[in-house]
Amino acid sequence: MTATGPTEPTPASAAVSAPHGPAQPAPVTPERLGEDEYAWRRMHPATPLLSGWKVLVAVLAVASVQAGDQLAQMVREFGATGWLIVLGIAVAVVVVGLAYSFLAWRVTRFAVTDEAVHLRKGLVFRQQRQARLDRLQAVDVVQPLLARLVGLSELRLEVAGGSGSAVQLAFLREAEAESLRSELLALAAGLRRPSAAAVPLVEGLAPVDATSAPAGAPAVPLPGVGSRAVGVTAAAGSEPFAAAPEQPVYEVPMGRLIGSIVRSGGAVWVVLLVVGVTVVMVTTRDIGSIFFLLPAALGVFGLVWGRINGGATFRAAISPDGIRLRHGLTEARSQTLPPGRVQAVGLRQPLLWRGKDWWRVVINVAGYSGDDANGQANETVLHPVATRDEALLALWLVLPDLGVDDPRAVVSAALTGIGDDVGFTASPRRARWVDPIGWRRHGVLVTDRALLLRSGRFWRSLDVVPHERTQSLGMEQGPVQRRLGVASLVVHSTPGPVSPRVRHLDEAVCAALLDEQAERARRARRTAGPEQWMRRGDAG
Amino acid sequence: MSAPTTNPFDLVGLDWTHVSPRLTAARLTVVALWLAPFVVAGAVVAALTGATWVWAVPAVLVLVMVWIAWLVPRQVGALRYAEREDDLLIRRGIMFRSLVVVPYGRMQYVDVAAGPLDRQFGIASVQLHTAAPATRATISGLPPAEAARLRDRLASRGEARLAGL
Repeated sequence: MTATGPTEPTPASAAVSAPHGPAQPAPVTPERLGEDEYAWRRMHPATPLLSGWKVLVAVLAVASVQAGDQLAQMVREFGATGWLIVLGIAVAVVVVGLAYSFLAWRVTRFAVTDEAVHLRKGLVFRQQRQARLDRLQAVDVVQPLLARLVGLSELRLEVAGGSGSAVQLAFLREAEAESLRSELLALAAGLRRPSAAAVPLVEGLAPVDATSAPAGAPAVPLPGVGSRAVGVTAAAGSEPFAAAPEQPVYEVPMGRLIGSIVRSGGAVWVVLLVVGVTVVMVTTRDIGSIFFLLPAALGVFGLVWGRINGGATFRAAISPDGIRLRHGLTEARSQTLPPGRVQAVGLRQPLLWRGKDWWRVVINVAGYSGDDANGQANETVLHPVATRDEALLALWLVLPDLGVDDPRAVVSAALTGIGDDVGFTASPRRARWVDPIGWRRHGVLVTDRALLLRSGRFWRSLDVVPHERTQSLGMEQGPVQRRLGVASLVVHSTPGPVSPRVRHLDEAVCAALLDEQAERARRARRTAGPEQWMRRGDAG
Repeated sequence: MSAPTTNPFDLVGLDWTHVSPRLTAARLTVVALWLAPFVVAGAVVAALTGATWVWAVPAVLVLVMVWIAWLVPRQVGALRYAEREDDLLIRRGIMFRSLVVVPYGRMQYVDVAAGPLDRQFGIASVQLHTAAPATRATISGLPPAEAARLRDRLASRGEARLAGL
């Protein structure tokens, strides 16, 4: 086992440029400077197959649609030879695609140091990404259907850099992804590696240089190359960080999930759609009209499927590393949210869920942009459909201490209450001129630890923002509000489904609240635990 | 209905700084550059056709310009900021008023920008960015020296009070 030599050529050229020695240093590209002593690791060799197949299917589908006529004509003209040509083209596309994926896999590698995760990728446009572990917001292990079948996972590290800033390590062996996650979380928590065993090398993870380092490269890092040199001589299979123990908290029964979808707005649309189509078909006696509704039907189906897929087998657990969420039917996702990473919590109740007293719990986490590639924001859901008790439990996961004596009574009042019960500051009566229905629901409660913002008469909603997570604050007032002497308080949070605000408070109250809240947020930040959560005094 | 006796946006004990009135000139110049060609074109068309009602087009445009010329100075006058020990406050708007409080420790980065016209008028704008995209914390119309001072001050204060997310 050797360290990557400082004179290793760039990965893409490693295969072609063979003899390099210390006497004849390879050109050092700026982005590689000073990082050669890291223990670079590769993704699983099956990655090109798994990541390439989607591209291949897409290319073949487009080609068959675009050039289908020509192909059909060719087949007609040449007979059996035509089939061979078509087959040949298809094979060529597959081979080129796989070759590209393979080359991309060859240059993709990552390394974990005590401070950061480094990722290098890109065949044509080289990209190098360094994610600081103390800025880690969440770690997800994602398994798309195909990868799940062959036992591979993708590790996704979220840092608070907006959408597209995640570091994606795809694909790794399942066990390897799990152990890497434990390691990253432990490092991010502020624990340090035992100095003897440095980088755990799990089998199947060949060190990079075993395949690509040139023969003459030095076996050990040259002295003085870097002070942060990481030892890479750990015994294979040794695991310095065991996975943190976890305690299950709640899970979502499939029956309730389906019930919640039946009672959702999407289901209402489906019913309306079916009724509408039936009426049209009966009156016009024309089956063709059904096709006009196909796009809408597909959209609704996608929405419903997204809800089922994301919410199925939803389980939450608590561990020293934070909140663990596992869910997904075809694509399994296992999220870990370290303590203090949730910026805001929102509890929502659509109109039709009132009878069952069900709640949807959503969260803002910096780095989760709120819309992934499929347009489904499954990652920002803390509980897809919670009973009252579970909603309280979910809130407790994020905020163990709400800063009130009787959290149950307070949250219950916040969820369904109106006016100024349990100490809420509500809109004054004159606010009915701007919001005749909802004015009694608008309200805000300040506790020692968080701000509770309540709104919505029919679509009930409660937002909870811990004081130390307040980014900035705002007060807004339109012309009508000014006449009535009311103003809205806005709490700015990171991007996500929760955008906390409370409308139509008395303007003097609102201004005082703004002033106090700025001071409270500052005090809370000062006493809040460090980013590296294991380093705080009362580790929990 | 209660008539507000005091302005709730005037938080007590604050020393508001107004932006440079040159911002008014800069904004009005932009508006003039956009609308003047249409006024001229409208007037030319009206003169050529000779129809009286065509004059309505440039007349309306001129009215719009007068309204803007009345509005912009008031808007600029309403734009002000105050530095406190731990946060920066920005106020704006007359009809739709807003106040933003940005703690220094929450700042991710500061932008200082000055377009060609801004440079001509000797002003620049400073924008604060937090992790929340909703934070609308832009101060336009600062003299360049003040913008640089504010930038450095914000940066140094942000560093001293830096917190995680």
